[in-house]
Amino acid sequence: MAVVPEFLIKRIYQKGSLKKLEDGVSLVLKNVLGPGLISGFNFVKINDVLFEPKDVKFVTNGVEYSGTEVSEANPVVFRLGQIGTLIMKGKDCIVEGLNKITIEAMNPEAGKVQLSVDDMKMF
Amino acid sequence: MKEMKISFDKYSLIIDGRRVFIRSGAFHYFRTPGEKMAKDRFLKMKAGGYNAVDIYFNWNYHSAREGEYDFSGIKDVRKVLKAAKDAGLYVIARPGPFINAEVNAGGLPFWLLRKGDVIPRNRIGTSYKYSPVYMKYVAQWYDNIIPIINEFDNVILFQIENEYATDTMEEEYMRELYKMARDRGVTCPIFHNDAYFAGLWADCVDIYALDLYPYINPNQNWKKDNFCFDTLDNVEDIFRGAKEDSPPFIAEMQAGWFDKWDGQGYKHMREALGFEHINIMTKTALSQGVTLFNHYMAAGGTNWADLACDEVYTSYEFCSPIDEFGIMQDNYFKAKEINYFLESFDFTKTEPKDFDFYQDNIYVKMRHDLNNNCDWLFIRNMTDSSENTSLVLPDGKNISLSPCDMKICPVNLKLKGCEIEFSDVEIFARLQNEIEDAVFFIADKNANIYLKDGTIITGDKSDYEHISFESESGKTQFVFLTKKLADRSWLLGDRIIFNADYVLPNGAIALENSSEIAYFDLKNKFAKKTYIIRGEKSSTDPVLADIANIEFCSPEIDPDYDYSGWEKVKDKTDSLSCSLYDEFVWYKAQIPKAIDSFTINARHLFAVYINGKEVLNRNSYKIEQLQDIPETISVYLSDKMLDKPNNELTILVQNLGFDKGFSGDTNNPRGLVLFQTTPEVPIEFKVCEKLSIERSKKYESENPYLTKITSYFDVNFDNNAFFAKYVSFKDFNYKRATIFLNGVKIGRYIKRAHVQDKFYLINEFLKPHNKLDVVIWEKDRNIKTPWDFKSDIKNVKIIIGTQKLYKLFK
Repeated sequence: MAVVPEFLIKRIYQKGSLKKLEDGVSLVLKNVLGPGLISGFNFVKINDVLFEPKDVKFVTNGVEYSGTEVSEANPVVFRLGQIGTLIMKGKDCIVEGLNKITIEAMNPEAGKVQLSVDDMKMF
Repeated sequence: MKEMKISFDKYSLIIDGRRVFIRSGAFHYFRTPGEKMAKDRFLKMKAGGYNAVDIYFNWNYHSAREGEYDFSGIKDVRKVLKAAKDAGLYVIARPGPFINAEVNAGGLPFWLLRKGDVIPRNRIGTSYKYSPVYMKYVAQWYDNIIPIINEFDNVILFQIENEYATDTMEEEYMRELYKMARDRGVTCPIFHNDAYFAGLWADCVDIYALDLYPYINPNQNWKKDNFCFDTLDNVEDIFRGAKEDSPPFIAEMQAGWFDKWDGQGYKHMREALGFEHINIMTKTALSQGVTLFNHYMAAGGTNWADLACDEVYTSYEFCSPIDEFGIMQDNYFKAKEINYFLESFDFTKTEPKDFDFYQDNIYVKMRHDLNNNCDWLFIRNMTDSSENTSLVLPDGKNISLSPCDMKICPVNLKLKGCEIEFSDVEIFARLQNEIEDAVFFIADKNANIYLKDGTIITGDKSDYEHISFESESGKTQFVFLTKKLADRSWLLGDRIIFNADYVLPNGAIALENSSEIAYFDLKNKFAKKTYIIRGEKSSTDPVLADIANIEFCSPEIDPDYDYSGWEKVKDKTDSLSCSLYDEFVWYKAQIPKAIDSFTINARHLFAVYINGKEVLNRNSYKIEQLQDIPETISVYLSDKMLDKPNNELTILVQNLGFDKGFSGDTNNPRGLVLFQTTPEVPIEFKVCEKLSIERSKKYESENPYLTKITSYFDVNFDNNAFFAKYVSFKDFNYKRATIFLNGVKIGRYIKRAHVQDKFYLINEFLKPHNKLDVVIWEKDRNIKTPWDFKSDIKNVKIIIGTQKLYKLFK
């Protein structure tokens, strides 16, 4: 069970930020909860498509982190108010209408933190 | 009883028409048991400049069985509240119903957790589910505790629930708690402490409050990762956004942190936090307009008996300003400095003021003080360097700040005999009357005081150096104290007493060694008096406890043990289902010969014995670096183990506590959760709780699995002294032990890399002649024969010592 209630975690996702890229998708997160560290990306799931850490990149403060390089020993600082973009490579997964997004990340204090949101996309 | 009129506005609490800055610290009466110990800690808090104490009321501690409420003896909360009042402290009452506090089941009574129709806290996971039956029992608790709280006119704030949130945030529960409190006569402002600083429940309470703990990971280096203060640095905006007209209130402001079974140990955490952390926390809060804060904790305590939740061990030292033993630590002296400053200058009405300055890793904030008609500049240095950092303020003044330091600098502060234009020499305290004042500064060779008339006074001063000023409005004297002397200086109303280890509000001076005490007041200025400590220092040296007796004490494991009088398990075997809430639960049953294996899940430590022989001994404690370890295991049984048609099965389970309920559910099962045989046969368990030495006088056994060693020691009680004693297991060869002082369980020892090997011999349970029992629960593999084991145990080293001894001069 998450330490932080779901409705608060949902606030991290920037509504409307889900974007189709040439080779994948991206979305934007903003830390509105409090200062913290991301110590791992377990997976990102958009609709039925699962992205493993190797397919995930996190770009924040001008630095690009591969999903596999983020770990407890090598965490990413994600400060209050900081913005980061998650880029998922390779698979086209956005549908017109409601898109289901699940992101599971790790935090040294809270353990697994899962964010599940829906976002509407009109082409 | 004269009732206080308590109101508030956006600046501060207003008590009987007067603005009051609340400098509170948390204290757990259940972890520091008895009136005498409460008094001691409260007086030390008051001596350190706190004016309020935050008290959790632990429902579980008072209600062992449904319908029973015990407020007698050491559970007499009236005596605790009276001690707070006598010490001159306001009280922030926090009766839950849920309190967390790392106590067993978060303070919810065990009997409540086992009721099928009760949903603790109206929450399953993070989903809201209203439970009328739960609310009925909450009303019963409030009916018992609120009338006692209402007897005291020094209660200024009342909290409902604790760090509560659900996914959908229905307000029904919180609104009902609020109404229940009001219906029972609570008249002071009601608040809740939001753990997520997200404005939660602001509309359901009078004053919005939040909790702030920037350092919760002992592996984190907060001095390097200074982003941990991000929330605190913006907390004024959070308060204003949540509730515009209530004063900024940090209901739990980090003054330490708890260590866990697999933690780094309190020594590591104290060193990591240092005195710098409380300094930064408190001063940054002030820079954000906070006028009510509560240092959590102010005084640490002990998880004696079964107080602890599963996460924490016996010591709840918490790196708090006053430690578990009642000894003041470095962060106490830093808190004292800030509290005295706040006692000297009324900080209850300030407004943020623009100040145009930026430098990497430097936090700067200016506030205009509407009471003192001056400004205060708050400067913090988080530069990752071992050297001081220099900065130049917009007016050209140079400031040099040491790493992780934070200062409060007066700007345009009018005193009786002069005016300070700016000072980065910090003020310790001020005494004043209508015509003169004395300002005590903490000497700092890198800082200066700039007076309005152009005079610059360097902070490079020695103890008691002083300078006098005179103007048309009166006289001012600056007196300088080195940091070392400031720590030993005590503000007592209209005078300051110097060079004492501590001075209680009643004027009693505590000294470890002989000392020359100095006094200062505006009328008599300085006076001195020497106090001589007589007696030998060696009386406090640690001594090896003489072992008087060694006995095997687990007759339950013996094959011929008569357990016919034990309760029969009706359905599930877990401890809640069996209404057995003690740390130790015994299970006994007969199993047939034709069994190949069994599968077991028990929490947390357990051992399985068949026909008096150990077949399994395991620690299934789960919270190990947030990784799940398998809890359910299977064990194959040989024909040799099951050598009779009906074999005697004994299981002993040690429950380290129920979940505290912050992120997990309080009613997660403990005890024997699962026991199945292959092939599956029905097993009729009988159960009993507690170790035999706690249950009866006949406890000797043939088997050596649990062994009690007894020693005796004397304590010299002296009304004119404060002492704290300990028992040390530093050179102890065994892995697990339970410690009893005069029959009271005061500690659990489980060998770990970093955690506790020194246990507080709680003053409340000490007598002139004391009996110390240590029950060792050891694994089979170290035992050759019972006789060898007994003889080996004779070499056990248990050390009894004195943590501190202060003589009190009244």
